[in-house]
Amino acid sequence: MADSTYRDLVRKLRGGRISRRHFMQSAAALGVSATSISSALRANPSYAQEASEVVFWTTHTEPELSSLQNIVDAFNAGNSDVQATLVQVLGDETDTTQLMTAVRGGSGPDVYMLDRFIVAQRAAEGVLQDLSEFLGGEDPSETYVPFAWAEANFQGTPFALPFDTDARALFYNIGMLQEAGIDPAQLDIANGPITWDSLAEMATQLNETDADGNFSRMGFAAYTDQAWHYTYGFAFGGNFFDEAACEVTPDDAGVVAGHQWLYDYVAALDPQKVNAFAGPVAATVTVPEEQQVFISERVAFTITGNWYLKTLPQYAPDIEYGVALMPVPNEGDESATWAGGWSAVIPQGARNPEGAWQFMQHLAGEAGQRTYLEEVGNLPTIVSLLEESSLFTDERLRFFAQDLLPTARNRPPLPVGARYWDELTSAWERIYLNQEEPESALAAVKDRVQPDLQGFCPIDVV
Amino acid sequence: MAREQPMAGTAAMPAIGTPAVGDARRAWLLKQFREKVVPRVALILVCALFILPFYWMVVTALKTREELVMYPPTLWPSELAWSNFREAVEYIPFFRYLFNTSAITFLTIVGSVISNPIIAYGFSRIEWPGRDKVFYVVLATVFIPFPVLIVALFDIFANTPRPVFNGLEVSWEGNWINTYMPLVAPMFFGNAFWIFLMRQFMMQIPFEISDAARIDGASEFRIFSQIVLPQALPAIGVISIFAGLHAWNDFLGPLIFLQNETMYTLAVGLTFFQSQHQLQYSLLMAASTLVVLPVIALFLLFQRTFVEGISLGSLK
Amino acid sequence: MSTTAPPIRPGPFGRLHLTRSERRNLRLGLLFISPWIVGFLAFLVYPIVYTLRISFTEYTGFGEPEWIGLGNYQALLQDDLFWISLYNTLYYTALAAPLGVVVAMGLALSMNQPLREVPLYRAILYLPSVIPLFTLSFIFLILMNPTQGIFNQFLMAIGLPNINWFGDPAWTKLAFVFLAQFGAGQVALIFLAGLKGIPVTLYEAAMLDGAGVWSRFRNITLPMMTPIILYDLILGLSLGLQVFTQAYVITRGGPADASRFYVLYLYDNAFRYGKMGYASAMAWILFVITFVLAMLIFRWSQRWVHYENQ
Repeated sequence: MADSTYRDLVRKLRGGRISRRHFMQSAAALGVSATSISSALRANPSYAQEASEVVFWTTHTEPELSSLQNIVDAFNAGNSDVQATLVQVLGDETDTTQLMTAVRGGSGPDVYMLDRFIVAQRAAEGVLQDLSEFLGGEDPSETYVPFAWAEANFQGTPFALPFDTDARALFYNIGMLQEAGIDPAQLDIANGPITWDSLAEMATQLNETDADGNFSRMGFAAYTDQAWHYTYGFAFGGNFFDEAACEVTPDDAGVVAGHQWLYDYVAALDPQKVNAFAGPVAATVTVPEEQQVFISERVAFTITGNWYLKTLPQYAPDIEYGVALMPVPNEGDESATWAGGWSAVIPQGARNPEGAWQFMQHLAGEAGQRTYLEEVGNLPTIVSLLEESSLFTDERLRFFAQDLLPTARNRPPLPVGARYWDELTSAWERIYLNQEEPESALAAVKDRVQPDLQGFCPIDVV
Repeated sequence: MAREQPMAGTAAMPAIGTPAVGDARRAWLLKQFREKVVPRVALILVCALFILPFYWMVVTALKTREELVMYPPTLWPSELAWSNFREAVEYIPFFRYLFNTSAITFLTIVGSVISNPIIAYGFSRIEWPGRDKVFYVVLATVFIPFPVLIVALFDIFANTPRPVFNGLEVSWEGNWINTYMPLVAPMFFGNAFWIFLMRQFMMQIPFEISDAARIDGASEFRIFSQIVLPQALPAIGVISIFAGLHAWNDFLGPLIFLQNETMYTLAVGLTFFQSQHQLQYSLLMAASTLVVLPVIALFLLFQRTFVEGISLGSLK
Repeated sequence: MSTTAPPIRPGPFGRLHLTRSERRNLRLGLLFISPWIVGFLAFLVYPIVYTLRISFTEYTGFGEPEWIGLGNYQALLQDDLFWISLYNTLYYTALAAPLGVVVAMGLALSMNQPLREVPLYRAILYLPSVIPLFTLSFIFLILMNPTQGIFNQFLMAIGLPNINWFGDPAWTKLAFVFLAQFGAGQVALIFLAGLKGIPVTLYEAAMLDGAGVWSRFRNITLPMMTPIILYDLILGLSLGLQVFTQAYVITRGGPADASRFYVLYLYDNAFRYGKMGYASAMAWILFVITFVLAMLIFRWSQRWVHYENQ
C-alpha cells in the first residue's frame, strides 16, 4: 500500500538518507497530500541549501484547479530554493471562512487566492499582509490594468497582486434569431451597441408560451446568468460609490435607471411567469450546466462572461452564437460592462512570506497568467499580455480582451464589499420580482450598508 | 418489566370491526382487506414519495451528459453511464475523504457508545441527592444552538495543543484545528439527546437486579458493565446509528474545523462539484450515491437490532 | 415491577446533612456523570461565556477586540435584517417543528404495520434522511424546478399552478419546510420504539370495549406517545431555529430575503462581513430565544403530556 511506502520515505527523510526535495517529489508521486508532506518536512531539520516551502490555497475547482497546479509545477521546476504546494479548500468568492479561521488558528497558508473585490474587505479586517515592503519602491500600477490594480489596494496600500479577470457581454443564438426573422447582423460589434429597448423588442418576438400560458421559451430572461445588479447599474452609466462623500450610492441615478429598465421589462411580461421560467436564481450555481437556459436553447439572448467561450463548445457544440456589446440606454451612448477576477494575497501568519512573494510573482506574473489564459481561457490583467496579439487568435476572445477590458468598470473595492453585494442582490431580487420599485429598494441598500462603511471613512480608492 | 413486543399497529391502524356472526367468510375477507390491503396501498404511496429523492439521485448518476439535457427528463437512463462513478471518484479525492469520514464516524461512535451509557447510568441507576435537578440542566443544554458556540469553540480548539505521539513519547504542540479532534473529542463527553434516550432505557431495567448485586458486594462499575450494559445493547445500537449518521453527514462542523483536502469529509467534499460557473450534476449524484450506499447497507443489516430490539417502555 | 424512577429525596439544598449512604451515592453518581460535567464546562459553559464577552466588543476576528458595551445589541435592534431573519426563522420553525411531529408519527405508524415486507418500507422511509443535505438540496432543486422538475409537472398535471418553489419569496420558506419533512425517518424510528413500548393489553382492553381505530389512537396511542412528542417538538424547535445548510446551499438567503434565516445571517456576519462581535450578540439572543421558547413549550406540555406514574 502507498501508506507503507510513504512511511518508509518519511523514515528515510528522518535518517537523512534522502534529500527533502527527493522526499517531496516521491511523496507527491504517491499521491500524498500537500499538508502531510509539509508537516513531515517541518518535523525534520532542514539544511541551509534546501528548499523552503510555500503553501498555496485556492477555492477553485476543476478546470481551474488543474491549471493552477500546472502553474505551481512550472514554478517548482524552475526554482530550487522555493517549492510551492497547491491545496484546495472550501469556499467561494466572498465566503473565505476557511482562510479566516485558519489564520486565527495559526494554520493559514502562505499564499491565498482571493476574489479581488474582497481584498479591501479582508485587508480592513486585518487578515492580509501589506505588500509594500516586498515591492520595495517598485510601482506595479503600470504593469496591471488600472481597475485590477485599484482593487488590489486598500487605503493606498497594496495587499494583493492581480491574477485573472473577466468581462461580461451579450451572447446571442444566431439560429434562434434567424428562425424568428431577426437579422443577427444588427448585433455585429462593428455596428456599435443596440439599445436596451431594441433588445426588449427583439426578445419579445421570440417569446413562446405553452398551453397553460407559461413561457416555454424567452428571448431574454433578464436576470439569469450575469445580468446582475452591477451589470444593469454600470450599463446605465451608474456609479456605486462616491469617494468624496465616502458613501455607497446604490441610489445613484444611473443605477436606478438600469434597475428601472429591468423592472419595466419584467412588468410588461408578467413577473410571476418570467420568474417561473427563470427558476431559482440564486447566488450560487444551482442548475446543471446542461439545463441552463441558453445551452438548452430556451433563451436567445443572455448576458454572461468570457468563460462561456469555453463552456459553450463543451456543452452545446451545435449552437451557433455571437457576442455583442452590452446594450446602451440611448442611441449613441457608450457601451459599458464590468470586470471581476481573482488575486494572490499573503495572509497574516504566513510561515514563509518571502517564499510566498517569490511564488506570487510567478503566479500573478506573466508566466502564470499566460498559462491560465491558454488553459482556462481567463483573461490576464497584465497590460503587455493583453496586447500580445498571438495570444488572442480567437476573434471573440480578442473582443473581450482588447475591446471590452480597457473600458470595463469594476465593483468599488470597499471594506464592505461582501455585504454590499448581498444587499444589492436582495434589492435586485425585489426589483425583478416587481415587489418593490427600484428607487426605494435601492435606497434600502444604502440604509443597510452605509452604517458598516462609516467606520472606515475616509476611503482612498487608488 | 419484560419488553413487550406488541403489534401496536394492529391496534392503531387496521380495525377489526364487530364481525357479523352469520357471514364469517365475508367478515374474514373484509378483515383481510382492512389489515393487509389498505395499509399496503397507503404505504406504497408514501414510499413512492420518499424514495423519489433517492431514485432521482441514482438515475441521474447513471445518465450520460446528453441525456441530462433532455426535456422532459427521462425517468430511466436509456444508456447506463457507469463511467460517471469513475469520473466522480477521480474528480475529488474521494477515497481520501471516505477515509476521513469513516475515521471520524468510527471515533464518534466509539465516543458516544462509551460516554453516554456511563453518564446515563449515573442519572438513572444511582439515586443521589440533587440528581434530577442536574438532569434538568442536561436537558436544558439541548437548547443551546450549535452556531452559538462556533466562534468560541473555534478559538478554544485553536489554542489547545494536541498530543503528538512519537513512539512512546508524547509531546504537545500545534492546535486542534484541521484535525479530527474538534469533531470527535466532544463525543466522549456525552450528548444530551443520547443521555436522555439511554436514561429512559435504563430506567426500564428492573432495579431488583442491581439491588441483588449490591447486596452480593458487587461494585457499582461492575453492576454497570456486567448487568446493565448488556441489557442496554439495543439502545446502544440506536445511539451508534444516530451518532454515526450525524458524523457521516455533518456539514457545518467540518466546514469550520477542517481546513484542507487531506482532512475533509465526504459531506463537505461534495461541494467541490459545484464551482464558480458550473455544476457537475451527474458526478455529484454519482459520488453521493457512493456516500449513501454504505449507510443503507448498514441500516438493512442492523435494522433488526435497533428497530425490533428497542422499546422505550413508558416514557417520562 | 416498577418502571418508574426511584423517588428522589430532597436534594442537597433541601437538607444539609446527608446520610452515609447518600454521601456514597452522591460520590458515585458524580463519578459516573463526570464526563458530562467536564464536557459541559469545556464545550458549553466556557464557549457561552466567551461568546458573551465577545458580544460586547467590536471585533473582526483579528487584532484586538474593542469594548463597545451594549453597542452590538443596540445596533441589532435597529437592523431590519436581524428582524427579517428572526421572522423567517420563527415562521419556518413554527411550521416545520409541529409538522415534523405529525409526519414522524405517521411514518412510525406505517413502520409498525404487521406486514411481512415492512422492513423494506422502513428502509425506504428512512432513506432520504441518510442522503447528505448538500446532495438532497440539489435533488430537490431539480425535482422542484418550475419548468423541468417532475414534481412540478405532477402538480400541474393535477391542475395546480406552476410554482417556482425556491425562486418565489412566497413559497421559499414552505419549500424548505417541505424538504425538512424528508428527514423525518430518523425521528420516526424513535417514535416507533415508543409505539412498541405501549402495553398491548391496553389495546386489547379497549377492543373488548368496542373502541374503533380512531378512538384507540386518540385514547391510547396518542396519550402514551406524548412524552416522545414533547421530545420531538423540542428537537424540532432546536433544529428549526438552527436551519442553515439547506439555505446556504440552495438560496443563500434569497429571493428578496425570503430565506435569510437567523443562523445564515449570523454566519455571514461572523465569517463574511468580519463582524464577530455582532455575530456573537446574535448568538446570545438566539440562545435566549431558544431557551424561552423551550420553557414555554415545557410549561404548556404539562397540560397534555401524559406520565404513567400520575
